[in-house]
Amino acid sequence: MGLLKHLERDFPIIDSDFQRFCASHGILSDCFDFTQFHLILALAIYPHAVEDFLFHDLYVLAAFAEAQSTSERLKQGITQVLTIIDGQHQTWFNGMELLENHQRRKRVLRTGCVGLDLLLEGGLCQGQLTELVGPSSSGKTQVCLQAASNVAKDIGGVVFIDTGNSVSPKRIVHLVNNILDPTPGEAKNRMFERIMRCILCHSVFNIFSLFNVLHELEANLRLQSEEARVQLIIIDSISSLITPILGSGSHGHALMISVGILLKKLANEYDIAVLVTNHMVGRDGGTLKPALGDSWKSIPNVRLLLSRVSGDNKCSMSIIKHPSVCARKQKMR
Amino acid sequence: MEINTLPISASTRGKLISTGYTSLSSLSSISPSRLAQDLRIQESEAVEILKVASVNCGVGNSDGTRAIVAGAQTAWDMLHEEEFARRITTSCEEFDQILGGGISLKEVTEFGGVPGIGKTQMGIQLAVNVQIPVDYGGLGGKAIYIDTEGSFMVERALQIAEACVEDLLDNGPARKDFRASQPNLSAKNLLRDIFYFRVCSYTEQIALVNYLEKFISEHKEVKAIIVDSVTFHFRQDFQDMALRTRLLSNMALKLMQLAKKFNLAVVLMNQVTTKYCDGSFRLTLALGDSWSHTCTNRVILYWEGNERYAYMDKSPSLPSASAPYAVTSKGIRSSASNCKRIKLMQA
Amino acid sequence: MANKFISQMNLPKSVSNVFAARNIITAKDALSLTEFELMELLDVGFPEVASAVKHISELASPPYQTVLLLLEQRYESEHLGGHLPTCLRGLDEALCGGIPFGALTELVGPAGIGKTQFCLKLSLLASLPARYGGLNGHVIYIDVESKFTSKRLLEIGACSFPEIFQMDGMAKEMAGRILVLRPVSLSQLTESLEQVKVAMLKNQVKLLVIDSMAALISGSLAEFSRIPVIVTNQVRSQSRVATCQYSFQEKDKTVGDPERFNSHLVAALGNNWAHAVTIRLVLEASSGQRFIKIAKSPISPALAFPFIITSAGILLQDNDGIEVMGPQLNSISCAGNGDFIDFNNQKLQ
Repeated sequence: MGLLKHLERDFPIIDSDFQRFCASHGILSDCFDFTQFHLILALAIYPHAVEDFLFHDLYVLAAFAEAQSTSERLKQGITQVLTIIDGQHQTWFNGMELLENHQRRKRVLRTGCVGLDLLLEGGLCQGQLTELVGPSSSGKTQVCLQAASNVAKDIGGVVFIDTGNSVSPKRIVHLVNNILDPTPGEAKNRMFERIMRCILCHSVFNIFSLFNVLHELEANLRLQSEEARVQLIIIDSISSLITPILGSGSHGHALMISVGILLKKLANEYDIAVLVTNHMVGRDGGTLKPALGDSWKSIPNVRLLLSRVSGDNKCSMSIIKHPSVCARKQKMR
Repeated sequence: MEINTLPISASTRGKLISTGYTSLSSLSSISPSRLAQDLRIQESEAVEILKVASVNCGVGNSDGTRAIVAGAQTAWDMLHEEEFARRITTSCEEFDQILGGGISLKEVTEFGGVPGIGKTQMGIQLAVNVQIPVDYGGLGGKAIYIDTEGSFMVERALQIAEACVEDLLDNGPARKDFRASQPNLSAKNLLRDIFYFRVCSYTEQIALVNYLEKFISEHKEVKAIIVDSVTFHFRQDFQDMALRTRLLSNMALKLMQLAKKFNLAVVLMNQVTTKYCDGSFRLTLALGDSWSHTCTNRVILYWEGNERYAYMDKSPSLPSASAPYAVTSKGIRSSASNCKRIKLMQA
Repeated sequence: MANKFISQMNLPKSVSNVFAARNIITAKDALSLTEFELMELLDVGFPEVASAVKHISELASPPYQTVLLLLEQRYESEHLGGHLPTCLRGLDEALCGGIPFGALTELVGPAGIGKTQFCLKLSLLASLPARYGGLNGHVIYIDVESKFTSKRLLEIGACSFPEIFQMDGMAKEMAGRILVLRPVSLSQLTESLEQVKVAMLKNQVKLLVIDSMAALISGSLAEFSRIPVIVTNQVRSQSRVATCQYSFQEKDKTVGDPERFNSHLVAALGNNWAHAVTIRLVLEASSGQRFIKIAKSPISPALAFPFIITSAGILLQDNDGIEVMGPQLNSISCAGNGDFIDFNNQKLQ
């Protein structure tokens, strides 16, 4: 019942009287604070709770209310609660609005890897979760670093969440120098410093600290100023955090899905592109498959497979899954 | 459900969900007593839950600092930090070159190769070299040597330490007075500052990695952890490969954390195995594909004709390259300087 | 260390009860699971699990020693600086004094090359009284292939150390100190190794020889008792196709020399085993000459010494040794081995 109490502070109309009234009709009152996503989950858990309220015949409810001494206040209460529920929902979009939202707010970030940008028809989409899959030393981290430096140069903030101590500032310097105007000068130095300052690195070594960082990020993203806005979140590699928790129990899987959902939520609500890496493991018979299994497969919007031609320094890349581009292959260095 | 992501026990999680607390924000402004009452638990437990939850939703960072994530570093700051970072030399110039100047601190570097290629030698050499004083361009740190195979030879460590001291005195800033002011530079002192752990089972290995955090916080000078080899026990006692993968990746993350937190180098030795792929048997490092992702750098030691070579197989910052090296009576050296070898044979 | 009981670790009562209730009794049980799994299994929050695991780990992890201390201990407490001299001067020098204590030394070589001869000689040396340069102890000789003959043992003894073996009763005492076990199956071998563990505590066992099989348990035995352990290993031929390279190495270089690989031999127990031994001595024959080769050792450079087998056992012909490089180290050649079949003549004289 805690949450109704919480509401009482903001909306005096929902007083204890009203709470009692609701309870007497078998309406669990603590479900009003759900956001859209939680509403759905809550429905799955207590199908009766929210439904009870929403599908309760409002006239009948009102009639009951009339019978009470404080009928006017109760009716107001009902209206108020319905408004709150409406407010908790995100507004419904139609296709046109979605398209407009997409065109106005979601940008396509160039990664600076020519092959990758060609393959993805521009680069990483904001609002989408992109996953790189590949065996060891296939260039996953290189793509991440390249994308980080390029996005930092073109637009702005990058958050790099690192699980393998693999962010090498020297390598970033090298990459940044490659994309910057070669003539040295004051302007270049300032540009260089700005780029380096835009890339924010954080080391994370277990799944719970990843959640900490993401929740903190979420809290702070609301307050961020427009010019230093975070454009790209990179997690290299998400699989090394998740592998130790995928055991016999189901909670590990639940956490894995939670990471995915949280990342997609951040991507969608704050217009961020998210890039994660996943490694490959051997299956019986020597073929390789991505480490996080079938339940992870459905989470990323875009999946790219990197592979290294043996004995050659070239890497190739292909699309496993993409909402709008058909499967293709591309060489890259 | 956001509550899922909190590091709390399953039963507490169940209680929270069944009473309707499913989002972090629902916990952000509730009093412990109220929560205790709702969940029918002790108030002290409720306080714990709220503490965990408040850490998670990033409350407490409201002082208007610009950092979007506490504890994060910009690449700019990291670059400046790295400018002052020194590396651990391998005593072989060519080898150092492919490593970008030596074994880097804050990273986990893995060496692998066939038996007899010189992995243990490399381990002992690094344990000695990490102690080269700052005046001589070293780190002046201490080393932890974790021996799982029982192949560590004290006599050999003594040889390498003596050779190291000798080389330093010969090549270092060779003013007489300076040398006199370095009374600590002796093979004995070098050996004294290697902490040797003998590990006899994988349980001990895991226990030790867990314990190292405390050990190192008591011995802050430690700048290198050498595990020779990380593979041995994990290759023997396991039936459940999925469990092995989980334990190994968990251990790797902890080593990673140690490397970062205490600014030290972690060096792991790995064995080789043969693997069937593309119609032929190939040598690869042991412990499987999952493990191959966990280290920051991976160096393979191999024979090429009559010379030992090192190959940089994986690195986030350096290109793949190979270089020759030699194992001499003085330890790891450049393959060109073979003169000491002859000396030993005459002795 | 790993089998310590959690209940005796002074954890808070509530925590240790939770562990006990889930049948997690020893440190090994607890550490074989990740913290996350423990959290699920024990139904306890992550911070509590993490601190409990830290506590358990601290008590279960082995103690450390500085290498200096280790060195001093070795020189103080161990006879001959912790080495069993082989009485082959060149080899002893290269190995810093002989076969090291507390380590697993492996002899690899084709049949008839002299592995057993070497083992017999070492057994004798270990059992000799200290004033003759021996270890004055008992020897356990696990003889899997029934190749041990007391007659040959005494012969080697009489020829190499005539002064001792001519003394009354000495020969008998020496031979009596060597205990021969003959297991017929692997399970028996493991069993007898377990027995050896007990026997070693009771007697003054100074050397363990296993001719010619290998079990991983012997590695830990070596350190447990700080005596040298000798294991012999046979060879098998390996076809050229199976020679392995890393994927980044170019293939074509090896194709040029097919002859070399025709008689390519490798140690019968593969790479995995090779990682487990500390010192590997390869006995091989090439172009009419037998060589003993230090193929793997953390102390010594890779050297090969020519040797002959006489009635006094193995003798080195050259104490300087020849440096061996490259993949030769792990290959075992047996070319010209046929010439040596008649070496028995000498022995039978």
